[in-house]
Amino acid sequence: MIEIIVNGQKQKVKEDINISEMIEVLEYKDKSFAVALNGTFVALKNYNETKINNADKIEILAPMVGG
Amino acid sequence: MWEIGGKKLNSRLLIGSALYPSPANMEESIKISQAQIVTVSLRRQNAGDKAGESFWNIIKEMNLEVLPNTAGSHSAKEAITTAQMAREVFGTNWIKLEVIGDQYNLQPDPFETVKAAEVLIKEGFEVFPYTTDDLVVATKLADVGCNILMPWGSPIGSGQGLMNPSNLKAIRKKFPNLQLIIDAGIGKPSDAVEAMQLGYDAVLLNSAIALAQDPVKMAEAFKHAISAGRLGYEAGLMQEREFASPSTPVVGTPFWHQFD
Repeated sequence: MIEIIVNGQKQKVKEDINISEMIEVLEYKDKSFAVALNGTFVALKNYNETKINNADKIEILAPMVGG
Repeated sequence: MWEIGGKKLNSRLLIGSALYPSPANMEESIKISQAQIVTVSLRRQNAGDKAGESFWNIIKEMNLEVLPNTAGSHSAKEAITTAQMAREVFGTNWIKLEVIGDQYNLQPDPFETVKAAEVLIKEGFEVFPYTTDDLVVATKLADVGCNILMPWGSPIGSGQGLMNPSNLKAIRKKFPNLQLIIDAGIGKPSDAVEAMQLGYDAVLLNSAIALAQDPVKMAEAFKHAISAGRLGYEAGLMQEREFASPSTPVVGTPFWHQFD
């Protein structure tokens, strides 16, 4: 297992996981969201090929009210 | 009718979606304002949270143009990443670029804003940059390719109206062909009238409506104010004079005045 930080919270996930798999595990699938890995945007089309490593910081952002 | 970011619109009000007493109140306020552009944001959300998703469903059903913001960004890099994420989530290349430089008055950071604007324009975004009323910063933003500028009236959420109308006038005069929107600080419908009378193309506001005692009624008030201010500008204001001048004709004054 590796430890990653998702939206500021520590999470344990299996090694060699990609973003698609992480989304599935964390139950974000079928929602509106976008992902940044270590401060860099990851486009939806690159989820399968983007691997997550130990201590990576992931932001999953969703629509919210705003001014 | 006016055009912004490739869209032809009737309303010159850009309305925020935050701070309303309830989602239903937000929906009704936006509807009555007849605004066609609504600002939204991106925030961290846990998988189980339903609030964001249900908010987004309301907005989608309203069939409005969505203007996502980069609120909360403190550097060009953060703003660029947020903009890229927003483009994917909201399916628009419009971005309200907001890079905060001071936590106390939420003043935009002009250096980081210009830096981010330049990158985002190259990536195909239509950038709506939130800036101060500084003419040089406005010029730098125009130089990197911004078609739109959004100087503040006064600090975000302060409701202080237009702090510096002469600076805003100078920006209007220097950039007759850019779309200029007053963003932030509008507190009263009369502030919106003033902004529109200066020849600004539109007004972006949120708190003035959402924090009113009756947001729905205030949304209607702003609809009228913006339209009145624009008509006033188009009609051309009379020249101010230092002296009084009677409006009733002097010729034909009744005889009793002749003995004064």
